[in-house]
Amino acid sequence: MKKVIEGSHAVSEAVRLARVKVLSAYPITPQTHIVESLSEYCADGSMDARFMCVESEHSAMASVIGAASGGVRTFTASSSHGLALMHELLHWASGARLPIVMAEVNRALGPGWNLWMDQTDSLAQRDTGWIQLYCEDGQEVLDTTIQAYRLAEMVNLPVMVVLDAFFLSHTYEPVNVPDQEQVDRFLPSYVPRIQLDTANPCALNQMAPPPVYMEMRHSTQMAMEQVPRLFKQVEDEFFSIFGRAYGPVETVLCEDAEIVMILTGTAASTCRQVISDLRSKGEKVGLLKLKMFRPFPTELIRKILEPIQKVAVVDRNFSFGASGIFAQEIRAALCNYPEHPPVFGYITGLGGRDVTPEILEDIYWRTRNNATPKAESQWVGLDQEIVES
Amino acid sequence: MTTAQASSDHISLLISRSKISTEINKTGSWCFVRPGYQDRTAPCSAACPVGEDIGRIEMLAVQGLFKKALETILQENPFPAVCGRVCFHPCEGACNRGEFDEPISINKLERFLGDIAFLDGFGPSILNLPNNGKKIAIVGAGPAGLAAAYFLTRLGYVCDVFEAADAPGGLLRWGIPSYRLPSDILENEIQRIQNLGVRIHCGEKLSEDFLIEAKERYQAVFLGCGHGRSTGMNIAGEQMAVDGLKFLYRIRNGEKLPMQGTIAVIGGGNSAIDIARSLIRLGAKPIIVYRRRKQDMPAFEHEIKMALEEGVQIQELLSPVRIDQDGSDYILSLQEMKVGEQDADGRARVVPKDSKTQSLRVNQVFSAIGAEPDEVWKVPPEKIPEILTLSHCTITQQDLPIVFGGDLTNSNKSVTDAVASGKQAAMALDTLFQKGWENINDRLSECRVGNSPALSMEIYMGGDRKNRSRHIVAYNEVNIDYFQPCNRVVSLSVPLQKSICSFDEIDHTLSTTGAMSEAQRCFNCGICNGCDNCRLFCPEVAVTLEDNKRQINFDYCKGCGICVVECPRSAMVIEEKKV
Repeated sequence: MKKVIEGSHAVSEAVRLARVKVLSAYPITPQTHIVESLSEYCADGSMDARFMCVESEHSAMASVIGAASGGVRTFTASSSHGLALMHELLHWASGARLPIVMAEVNRALGPGWNLWMDQTDSLAQRDTGWIQLYCEDGQEVLDTTIQAYRLAEMVNLPVMVVLDAFFLSHTYEPVNVPDQEQVDRFLPSYVPRIQLDTANPCALNQMAPPPVYMEMRHSTQMAMEQVPRLFKQVEDEFFSIFGRAYGPVETVLCEDAEIVMILTGTAASTCRQVISDLRSKGEKVGLLKLKMFRPFPTELIRKILEPIQKVAVVDRNFSFGASGIFAQEIRAALCNYPEHPPVFGYITGLGGRDVTPEILEDIYWRTRNNATPKAESQWVGLDQEIVES
Repeated sequence: MTTAQASSDHISLLISRSKISTEINKTGSWCFVRPGYQDRTAPCSAACPVGEDIGRIEMLAVQGLFKKALETILQENPFPAVCGRVCFHPCEGACNRGEFDEPISINKLERFLGDIAFLDGFGPSILNLPNNGKKIAIVGAGPAGLAAAYFLTRLGYVCDVFEAADAPGGLLRWGIPSYRLPSDILENEIQRIQNLGVRIHCGEKLSEDFLIEAKERYQAVFLGCGHGRSTGMNIAGEQMAVDGLKFLYRIRNGEKLPMQGTIAVIGGGNSAIDIARSLIRLGAKPIIVYRRRKQDMPAFEHEIKMALEEGVQIQELLSPVRIDQDGSDYILSLQEMKVGEQDADGRARVVPKDSKTQSLRVNQVFSAIGAEPDEVWKVPPEKIPEILTLSHCTITQQDLPIVFGGDLTNSNKSVTDAVASGKQAAMALDTLFQKGWENINDRLSECRVGNSPALSMEIYMGGDRKNRSRHIVAYNEVNIDYFQPCNRVVSLSVPLQKSICSFDEIDHTLSTTGAMSEAQRCFNCGICNGCDNCRLFCPEVAVTLEDNKRQINFDYCKGCGICVVECPRSAMVIEEKKV
């Protein structure tokens, strides 16, 4: 059934439909609406789940780790500082191989205090062993959250569903909310591979000395490596029931493109229009929307970008002392190809600043008009008056 | 530890899993410090002249265990309902909560527990008294004498109390007006003492000869006969002044004494205040005339404040020099005084201000400058070989051990100090009979509450309190994170316009809910109240609770000290582990 709902509520609807059993979260803007509605579902009985109120995000993650170790489907959500506070336990969740699903609303970290869109919070967690999936609109958020449970439970790894602050979390759009029966068909009840059982007591995740630790890390990576293949399987099944699929990456007019722009999240939507406008002017430009960031779909990206002349990566994030994080990853994916295209890195839209069609066109022309990048990162849209003050 | 590898759909899953209990890992071997439960002394109980276990009393009151709370008071003081009304409560001045918001209303809570004993008919709590066959004579049925009888009886002595007046109570009965201490309250508490078997012989005024006769019948004598005679003023016309103490006695004796006009009350002690407030109730306008300043008055601050509210005037820095009669009036000549240097005791000395005098025309003059023993044999002798001077009494041992106590020896002439005197005398005499003269000081010193002179009968009799550390818990040792600011309870009282027209009691006793919520404010400094923080916070689950008793399992205690830090009331200590 189509409903006009907020991006946040697309997550909540999905979590309800996934029949999650234990939820725990600590409120933080712009994530709060997600757990607010979930707490209402728990209170009014529309979800048969336990909502654990906690005093911090660290405890929220600890709570779902505990619940997931008990063998139930779990959910939490966070943003920015809250996610940063969870950092220690993000490692724990993946190391313990628990299929926890979290909604992460991309928000800038302070100081200066800022509530708005910025990707650095989730990208700073890239090495924690979580699968990361970036979404473009409300429908994708809902669908990806449901898929996340299938995927997580198949590989025993946690999944972070990432959505833009406000541009997505607080925007109302028509979203097709599926029937429970359909979702149940796609997502059967959870059969845990790891489960604490009082009838058969054991301790999990205690000391792992040097002779086994490395093998455990290798095991996590082996599971990660299966994700692209299994994600496709999940999406195929999802498509057969719901008629929608997204892919780990999506390409738009890349086949004959000379320049490909790489974007994530809601800015990819803006770019679709820009590509279309530029195409009508005869420019051979394509879009690569990156959805899956962890595991990084290296093979796929190599295949897409190999014949391209230039690549422009738009980062709404930054790794200080280096460059935009998506650009780094794209360069790393390409560097072992002798004839790979140059990668132009652009930084824009930090801390909630709009990424307008004009900015994306500017980025296109800068790429088009230069044979090689002027710098590892070019900051687009800076207010020179402030910069020079 | 084992690792478990499962396989499903070719997804590698390798995590550590163990079926062996973590109990094999005795984390206690890591520690170099050890926490422990150690109840400590609360500052209120060290400040209490009778050393009541206040922190524990309030803890029991919060739990609604009023009978137990009362019994805890009765360990140390037979007069909770009396002291809950008339004590100057130094406990509240020492209360750690005073630094946080306001001190606990300890005095009002004591009164509540004292009163509830009679409302709820709590019977005598101390049964099966021992009997050691020794008999003690007690002279004076005031608070000191009655307390001595009470404690001696509990220790197994048979006590005869001799009282000159026709009813027991001493100053409690004759010296304190009924608006502060109603007779029935006093009688109830005296009855409880008599129920223990104490025999009170009223109308028996003894002479010095008694000390000789007593040898035949008694093994010791306690003299607690107080100060029966008002101190003279040594001024001309003194005989025209009314003796204030006799006046109070006559009121308590039920005499109708209508008063009118302006009446000068000379003095600055509690008696002067009691006389002035009584005069207001009888229809007069009293003026207290005091030679020092208001802040130097020995009367309790609260009493002075009440007197001023009721309309008593206080004229300070005026020293009476003579009284003259003028028709039906009196002219009181007063030397103006000024503040000079400080006394040795820290009080400001006052000296005449030039030769300035003024006169005050009044309808009557009352004197209340103090009291002294009415007979010389009641004054403790000096410079005899067998004499022991303690904080609240003096013992001589010539033919017969004689203890001088109460106001005869106390520097602080309060009811509670009088009770402390009777208790100290009882312990001293018992030690004398059990262990000999030379051991009195050491034995009594073992029973001190904290570092104060207050003695605990519970400790003397070997109760649990003997395990309490002498350390007095300071405010900065209380974990105030666990307490919310909350104002102290206010008790209801009769409105002023009504209260100054009668001798009915002014303040009401706290309600049960009022008392419980007030007791809830108590930090219970140094006293475990079973809050369970230690157990809940222990990261090693090394605190066990069985039969309501907490213990630390040192096989697993890592010595992190979290339990000690999270104890809100400083009832735990941490010490280096002894190798």
